[in-house]
Amino acid sequence: MEVRKFILKRFIEIFIIFFVILTVLFLLFRLAPGDPVTRMVDPTLTPEDSQYLIAQLGLDQPIGLQYLYYIKNFFTGNFGNSFHYGVTVSSIIWSRLPNTIILFTTSILLSAFVGIFLGKIASWQKGTKTDTWMTLGALVCHTLFLPWLAMLMIWIFGFKIGWFPLNGMISPKIWMDPSSGFWLKSLDVLHHMILPLATLFLIHFGSYLLLMRSSMLDTLKEDYILTARAKGLEEKTIRNKHAAPNAALPVVTSVGISLAFSLSGGALTETVFSWPGIGRELVFAVSNSDYPLAQGSFLLIAIVVLMANLVVDVLYAYLDPRIKY
Amino acid sequence: MTVNQSTQTSKISVRPAKRFPTIERLKEGWSVYKENLIGKIGLTLLVIFALMAVCSFFPPLIDPMYHPMTGVDPLITHSTGPSWRHWLGTDFIGRDILCQLLAGTRIAFMVGISAAFMSIFLGTVIGMIAGYAGKIADTLLMRLADMIMVMPTLLVVLILSSLFGQLNIWTIVLLIALFRWPGVSRVIRAQTLSLKERPFIEAAKVTGASHFRIIFRHIMPNVLPLSLLYMTFRVTSAIIIEAALAFLGFGDPSTVSWGMMLQWVWKTGHMFQAPYWLLPPGICISLLTLSFYMMGRAMEEVLDPRLRKEVAQE
Repeated sequence: MEVRKFILKRFIEIFIIFFVILTVLFLLFRLAPGDPVTRMVDPTLTPEDSQYLIAQLGLDQPIGLQYLYYIKNFFTGNFGNSFHYGVTVSSIIWSRLPNTIILFTTSILLSAFVGIFLGKIASWQKGTKTDTWMTLGALVCHTLFLPWLAMLMIWIFGFKIGWFPLNGMISPKIWMDPSSGFWLKSLDVLHHMILPLATLFLIHFGSYLLLMRSSMLDTLKEDYILTARAKGLEEKTIRNKHAAPNAALPVVTSVGISLAFSLSGGALTETVFSWPGIGRELVFAVSNSDYPLAQGSFLLIAIVVLMANLVVDVLYAYLDPRIKY
Repeated sequence: MTVNQSTQTSKISVRPAKRFPTIERLKEGWSVYKENLIGKIGLTLLVIFALMAVCSFFPPLIDPMYHPMTGVDPLITHSTGPSWRHWLGTDFIGRDILCQLLAGTRIAFMVGISAAFMSIFLGTVIGMIAGYAGKIADTLLMRLADMIMVMPTLLVVLILSSLFGQLNIWTIVLLIALFRWPGVSRVIRAQTLSLKERPFIEAAKVTGASHFRIIFRHIMPNVLPLSLLYMTFRVTSAIIIEAALAFLGFGDPSTVSWGMMLQWVWKTGHMFQAPYWLLPPGICISLLTLSFYMMGRAMEEVLDPRLRKEVAQE
């Protein structure tokens, strides 16, 4: 019951935060130098078409009404038309969203699990060579410059050795061929996904490793670990059953905090690998002054961050029964 | 009388430190810091990069063709590999890569340190005010911090640059600072909350010190070491954000930064042909951020005696 109340409270908070972001974005689009109409309506459209769009977006109304139109349009999923693609922004976003979510979730889960696992081992062998090398390795990986690592990956594994495709998400040859089945197509996507995934993984697992290590070292000083030792339990049991689950809690919190960072990284990775996701679409829209697309994809990224934060909060509430809300 | 005097002098001679508590504390901190391997590596790297930044002033003086932005070697029209004339080779229009690399060091330091300083300043002041004032001010400031914290800084700056046009380097620094204070302010707020209940603050209040004086004279000296620690981590993130922006093509076009160099390699399609051009800027960004990160971790040990004891036990 308590937990449910807490989740509801977080949900309302996140909703308010989102509303503020929505409002700030609206104000920014009005405050920026230049005419807001040319920013939302493609200047190359015919007069009739642009009149229709202006009326639909409420751009001919006073600013208060414009805001209401803006909110209404957001909740009905109407972000206007993309200048570049000429189709509705929402249709572009919906087709890109799954690609981003696949890459983003797999990379976060993979790096969190590996990071927690390795951190556990490093803390257990504290002071040994294994620990020193693991810590150093994690530090170095964590501070690698992401776009550069991505280019390096493409250069080495895509170009020099040729194991993986250079960019994109699918090979048209396989997807155009009607005879290729579901498994072949999935395998093709997986083949394209390995390099971006490895890049994101290398950047992120280090921070989880370091966090898990220090959290583990704190936990090992707790009385219940001493009790477990006194009972004569095996070292492995103490490590995996008594220490690790408790030590992993702060790591879960940090996953929540680093989500924003991961999404920026995701956008960079998508751009370098030409992975058709929302982050790449945002970068593309910004470079081409495609304002409706930029606005729409930014809002959607904000939603993804906030939702992921909520998921982490809920997870935390269930993982740690000691916490009272 | 004489006995009394002698004990007094001996007391003074034993603890002359009382006169300069800050310096003494720094000395003590340094003695812990220099025992730390990671801290030593970090500091060495930093010194190397600082030397590189200083060296960046010399090449354009030798010959105008070594100017990182405008200097073009008249004999070269395309990207070439390392040679005696150009130790790291040249870029696509014949500019010297080593000179660009050195100039980039200067920009990285400038961006990293100024953005980190500003965000730490904001974070410390806001954190102290929130923690000390409590009530509505605390709630409002911390909710604002939460809100900014969930936003991906890089993408926010991207959107702003699409709306306001090309950003210059100082605007980028300012934006990074404005979006990177919340993490610091949370930590400082927690520290202030515990400091506020201590007797010395009580004593200051009794003597009639104003809130302003209590915050800046009594609380601030106690949270500053923590702020300094966070500054090293903020330098790291500021350098990365600036480099990423420049890489995506939204940097200040009048500066040569490492991110910009990577963008040139990428956009001109030299990624596969010119490893001598692709490798150096990336290695530099990674190593400089690593150096600040390592120093931060070593400083954590200096500031947190719990971590220090662990090291001593080994």
